[in-house]
Amino acid sequence: MIVCSRCSKENQDHYKFCLGCGAELPRESSKPRSFSAPTPPGGSSTVGTGAGTGTKPPRRMQAAKALAAAESVAPAVKAESIPVQAVRSRPAAAAGPLPQELAPLVEATAPCTNCGAQVPENFRFCHVCGHDLHAAPATNGSSDAAEERVSAPAVAAAPQRTAARAKLVLIRPDGSEGEAFPLGDGPALIGRGTGGIFANDAYLSPEHTEFRFEGDQLVVKDMESLNGIYIRIEAEVPIELFDGSVFRVGQEILRFEAPTAPDPSPDGTQLMGSPHQGFMGRICLVIGRETTGNCFPIPPGGIHLGRERGDVVFPEDGYVSGLHCRIHAEVGHVFLTDLGSSNGTFVRVLNESFVPKGTFVLMGQQLFRADY
Amino acid sequence: MEQARNYVCTECASAVPSGHKFCGACGAGVPSEAQTLETRYFGAMQMPGKARLIVVRGDAAMGEGLSYLLQATEHVAGREADQIPFPSDNWLSPTHANFHYRGERLVVRDEGSLNGVYIRTRGSTPIQIGDHFMCGQQLFRVDATPKDSSGPEADQTYFYSSPRRPSAFRVTQILEGGMDGIVCCAHERTVEIGREDCDINFPDDVNMSPRHARVEMSGDTLELVDAGSQNGTYFRIRGERELNHGDYLFLGKNLLRVEVTA
Repeated sequence: MIVCSRCSKENQDHYKFCLGCGAELPRESSKPRSFSAPTPPGGSSTVGTGAGTGTKPPRRMQAAKALAAAESVAPAVKAESIPVQAVRSRPAAAAGPLPQELAPLVEATAPCTNCGAQVPENFRFCHVCGHDLHAAPATNGSSDAAEERVSAPAVAAAPQRTAARAKLVLIRPDGSEGEAFPLGDGPALIGRGTGGIFANDAYLSPEHTEFRFEGDQLVVKDMESLNGIYIRIEAEVPIELFDGSVFRVGQEILRFEAPTAPDPSPDGTQLMGSPHQGFMGRICLVIGRETTGNCFPIPPGGIHLGRERGDVVFPEDGYVSGLHCRIHAEVGHVFLTDLGSSNGTFVRVLNESFVPKGTFVLMGQQLFRADY
Repeated sequence: MEQARNYVCTECASAVPSGHKFCGACGAGVPSEAQTLETRYFGAMQMPGKARLIVVRGDAAMGEGLSYLLQATEHVAGREADQIPFPSDNWLSPTHANFHYRGERLVVRDEGSLNGVYIRTRGSTPIQIGDHFMCGQQLFRVDATPKDSSGPEADQTYFYSSPRRPSAFRVTQILEGGMDGIVCCAHERTVEIGREDCDINFPDDVNMSPRHARVEMSGDTLELVDAGSQNGTYFRIRGERELNHGDYLFLGKNLLRVEVTA
């Protein structure tokens, strides 16, 4: 229980903002990454929270030195043969030892000549792609050569084109915009191993997702990540649910299960049970890889989900709107509809999905907006 | 003017408390009926020592109040049974249950039926993980809390789980046909079931009481407690169980009342 210092309202331990007045609540410093109470979809917890102390610039200098040291360990090689392997390992190596407060802050920046990311001016290496900012810009020839030598996913780690067609804008817990990650034309592999704004997110797989363009459309692909990618669905637009579809409401991860046909018993006896009101399936709270918690069957008339209103309520989840979404059936299909909730309803991407302009995307415990 | 509160000796008019075989004042014998206060059921006048099964809620074709006098040593009930047949109840196995006498006691045995035999709990009954029970029209199973499967991967990626609370066990609703319905993880150590304001609510189940029953865990033991419901809470027996006068039991959709006279 956290008592808000401004309005004295009692808030739950995992709340970041007061439910009463919206003031930021003090954080438990002993628990930097609470596993049992995950972060809200409202934004990141690892990045941007330690912002604003005066010790940053010197430590960032150390980071730059660390990066420089990491690079000097790598064998001296011809310029054109450095690229991909070294480039990939560098951000990861940097991410490990760096405390999370070192995540980049918004101040004087300059675009990286390789990937276009905004890099603080005192950095020697780009924190996103690891490019040496003091070296001459990579020529197209050298990067193409690198592309031919390594397998496609490895190449994807570092965007190859200089032109950023899109960016993933980090949305902080308070709703403000944070760091932007540029996306080029080619496939961009993003994960904890990418480093930068992704480095400290323990819920991201090392290789989590891949973004690429198909024509004018941004496409996201789940690289068989543990926790997946969630895309916010448009309010009042029904999205069909299939057996195994996973969606997120507030902090709750829910899975839809289609109804199963009963096995007929050999002697014609029917399995007894509660009246089956023509349930269309059920939704289950995901609490582990193979485990679910509370479950609710979906009657033909559908159900509403909300913090306060609806058939299924989440009174303890402050990130769920009073009435959040509904699930209903039409001609044998089941649909999920967001009802204009504040924080949105997110659907987990099954393999691949288009990402319309301005769509909010949840990866790990951070929220991004895809701008292009 | 009041009536004497005890049996009065016919010889000396002294009061004789129950349990005495002879008058303490004069030594005269006391008739056997007055020696104990044991009440015998009316049926005992016709068939002493035997039990009767009354169908409380039979299907319409069978008629209400049909009763079976259990005169033999074994009585088989089932969809295709000869003695106690319920041909139109497809929740009953062909041979479902056997009512037999063990000494003086009537015992019901589940003959490996698909859906089992349910007996109304008197107050509360100890149960185990995996046991089934009924409240109103609803059928439930008590399940263990599954092993946590949300630990980090080998590559140190953490599984993103919904917020969880510690829970000692869970109650799962079983739908007709066998599919699982509602699952309710215990808040701490109790799951309460009823029409409203419980952990699992069935506002439209007219056979359920507002607060019907609860499953409680104390120490390591689970208990099914009927919360004074109108229609009672029924638990599925394991193997066989002795029956007492006034017990109610469900075989499929059929509710039976036991009248034991001995």
